[in-house]
Amino acid sequence: MTLWKRLKYLSPSYRQAQEREMREEMESLAAIAGRRELGNLTLAAENARAVWGWSWLAGIWGDVRYALRTLRRQPNFTAVATISLALGIGANAAIFGLMDAVLWRKLPVADPDRLVMLGTDSRSYFVYSGLAAHAGEVMESVIATTGSSPRRLDPGAGPQQGGVELVTGNYFTTLGVRAALGRAILPDDDRRSDPAPVALLSYDYWQRAFAGDRAAVGRSLRVEKARYTIVGVAPPGFFGLTVGEAPDVWLPMAMAGSVVPGPNPLDQRNYNSLFLLGRLRPGVSPQQAATALTPVDIQIELERNGPPATEAARRELYESRLELTPAARGMSFLEYRFAMPLRVVFWMVAAGLLLACVNVMSLQFARADERRRELTVRLAIGASRFRIVRQLLTESLVIALASGALGLAIRQPIAAGLTSLISAGQAPVRLDLRTNLAVLLFIVGISLGVALLSGLVPALRATRRDLQPALQQASRATTAAPVRRALGRAVTAAQLALSMVLIAAACLFAFSLHQLRQFDSGMNRRNLLVIDLDPADSGYQDAQAIDLNMRLRGRMLAVPGIAAVSFSQNGLFSGRNSDTRFEADGFHNRKPRAHIGVFDMVGPGFFTALGARLIAGRDFNERDDQSAPSAVIVNREFARRVFEDRNPVGQNLYLAEDETHYKPYRIIGVVQNVRNDVRRAQPLFYECQLQTRIEVMSTRFLVRTRQAPEAAISGLRAAIRAEDASLEIGRIDTADALLDSTLDTDRLMAALAWGFGVLAIVLAAVGIYGLLSYDVTRRTGEIGIRMALGAFQRDIMWLVLREVALLCAAGLTIGAVAALALARLVEGMVFGLKAGDPRVEAGAAVILAAVAVVAAWFPARRAARLDPMAALRNE
Amino acid sequence: MDLLQGTLDMLVLRTLVFGPLHGYGIAKAIRSASEEALDIEFGSLYPALKRLELKGWILSRWEISELNRRAKYYRLTPKGRKQLAEEHSKWAQFAGAIGRVMGPAPDGSEV
Repeated sequence: MTLWKRLKYLSPSYRQAQEREMREEMESLAAIAGRRELGNLTLAAENARAVWGWSWLAGIWGDVRYALRTLRRQPNFTAVATISLALGIGANAAIFGLMDAVLWRKLPVADPDRLVMLGTDSRSYFVYSGLAAHAGEVMESVIATTGSSPRRLDPGAGPQQGGVELVTGNYFTTLGVRAALGRAILPDDDRRSDPAPVALLSYDYWQRAFAGDRAAVGRSLRVEKARYTIVGVAPPGFFGLTVGEAPDVWLPMAMAGSVVPGPNPLDQRNYNSLFLLGRLRPGVSPQQAATALTPVDIQIELERNGPPATEAARRELYESRLELTPAARGMSFLEYRFAMPLRVVFWMVAAGLLLACVNVMSLQFARADERRRELTVRLAIGASRFRIVRQLLTESLVIALASGALGLAIRQPIAAGLTSLISAGQAPVRLDLRTNLAVLLFIVGISLGVALLSGLVPALRATRRDLQPALQQASRATTAAPVRRALGRAVTAAQLALSMVLIAAACLFAFSLHQLRQFDSGMNRRNLLVIDLDPADSGYQDAQAIDLNMRLRGRMLAVPGIAAVSFSQNGLFSGRNSDTRFEADGFHNRKPRAHIGVFDMVGPGFFTALGARLIAGRDFNERDDQSAPSAVIVNREFARRVFEDRNPVGQNLYLAEDETHYKPYRIIGVVQNVRNDVRRAQPLFYECQLQTRIEVMSTRFLVRTRQAPEAAISGLRAAIRAEDASLEIGRIDTADALLDSTLDTDRLMAALAWGFGVLAIVLAAVGIYGLLSYDVTRRTGEIGIRMALGAFQRDIMWLVLREVALLCAAGLTIGAVAALALARLVEGMVFGLKAGDPRVEAGAAVILAAVAVVAAWFPARRAARLDPMAALRNE
Repeated sequence: MDLLQGTLDMLVLRTLVFGPLHGYGIAKAIRSASEEALDIEFGSLYPALKRLELKGWILSRWEISELNRRAKYYRLTPKGRKQLAEEHSKWAQFAGAIGRVMGPAPDGSEV
């Protein structure tokens, strides 16, 4: 009841009525008793208002209004402080949102904590069926998904690339995800014998392709060659189970045969393309479930590949254990790719915000100096220190909250920009970056932190009692100066230290990027073009496609200015891989993983076109066709791992044809390591397409030109069209551009580090300039006396520059130590040098020292040019 | 004489037992009941009235005074009466306890 009565006082009209009532009552009493008799009525009324219990709120409101008035009177300060803090807060919130989406957030599904992933790698449908049939004791259900892969989608307006995910019929019921519109895919849609051609759209795709039209449900959608009926739209927050990979369309698993080219993957026992997840029964731990399911898993393995051939393999199989990993946050492959860059960017952005705070703090010091007389008067007439500190902090809080609001507004563009920067050149990363409670709390939290950090110390200092001499001093406050100078120095040294850390990071990433660009990737990247073609798409199958490749090669070679042409399935720097099981002469490694080899299928003259040196043996040529003995070329890394110090040329490699049969290939050459990923040399071998009569899904032509490659592009296009005008030409890139696109993260880190580094330098330079200018002005008299006594100009300059030397020594030492400590964080991200390389630190220190001297030069020169007479008269 | 902390509320409630009074009337009544020993300042009495009103122990209404003037009169509510009884017994216990400790006044002049 009392609470309710009190709440009523929050309403302005009620409070006004009460005020009126109170005034009337007092007037009536004054008429009865006389004003003298009643005493201080204003105090009585004030105390009565305190009874209502909201006087603190009124006080805060008063502070806020006063703060707004003050800030409006100083628009420059307000704008600089708000904008710099808003940028800092916005960037921090963006990174926080990204880290939340990539690293921390749980899936928007029912009870995500009971979801586990079965096994660490992808498995085949055969394994799924076996596990699903036997997991009932420990799991409510087991689901399988292909994850999102790029397919051709046609909603009726022409085909486009889109992400398609095949899921088992129990996927949505297990996850507890209901369609936002229509229905989800149901177990009944996923019959192996008679699959239902139905599709569920993602909310995002529904908005993009159908403009959110509710009538989309029931319409048809083409995926690759088949048509599907749209049965529903998924809820807006659901992006599948793989973080960053939002599919556009979900289809029932049983449709796999019409989506994936080639033989139906569901029939192939060893076609490992599915991720298996399960929902644990309540109270069952992942360990218990793993113990229960491991024998099942071993049994499935025996059924699928037969009893192990060797004793070692047998022991390996029986000692294997099915691993169950919690999947509450989904399957995150981004975590591996992004965790490090995100953490580093987070620290850089945090350092940027800290810098902005320090800067606002030094501005606040300057303002407090200007307002000292006003504050001292207020203290002198009896305002409590707490009251004034509260009022000054309210000012900081108003600035910080305004910055927070602005930061919230710019957060999303920054986050979107960062995401596209980080994922540029690779499959686009799609994340749920909508503003949520966590982000809001984060912004409010750091805004409060920023207010305290930038406002508290200046407010406390401005209200110190010992500043009261300021009242008596109309002129320059020399007595207060030493403290102000010490604080100013500390702030400037802190700015220098932070700048040192950021500049060291910038130097590090820039140097690393330079090394990566210059790195010998095992080929000659000059004058090399890569052309993307898709013969299968124009109806060329198997052998036809390879014949086409050969004919195209001939036509391209005839184009003027072309030195060499060849082709391959996976191309360069594409991130695409093929792998197979293999055995080799004299290779007895027991680990099954060591028998998985990554390969590419290439055309004749491939290494000549690539400009890769053969260490031994020869390149493929036109005679390596089906009539010739099957041949492979291995790279040096492959030779080192498999054949160690033996000469591989002439040895045999045995490649798996199916589960039990291996086909021998003679090794005809060893090529130096051609790196697809610049950071590491991967073991690779190459087959010749003329001998491998298997499905060729796409082709990448490698064309070496004599002059600048761009000039040859139109001639090459004409040659391709002359062969078959229906062939769709994908991208045409130079090898350098392709390499660059794999270095996006490195480029991003370098660019970000430089951005923040330059910002830091500018702030530090402004800080040094301000501090020394103040210093010179304050010491005008002293300098005048020195000059009158015979000091030279250079002595005076040294007097000022010495200050900078001391500041630099302190700031750079602290910064260097911090940079070394943080270097461990980026150890894995730099290439070609150690993170704590002294050269990097020295470089950063030189840059900063140079900037500091330049910033100090102007005040120093002003001091040196002072007219001693004028200076002395000033005193 | 200064008031003990928290006794003002009790005094106001006690004063209103005899019937409604306006703010100045309450101050006068306490003064005369204490034989001029307690002089309550209006500045402290008035917030106390508002506090008691908020707690629902007293009610106020505009009435015409005996001298034909408009004034706000305060009266006890049943809740206030109960509160008074409670405070009364608490006070009696307190005063008794203090009285027993202090005993009769020692005649210090002899020592």
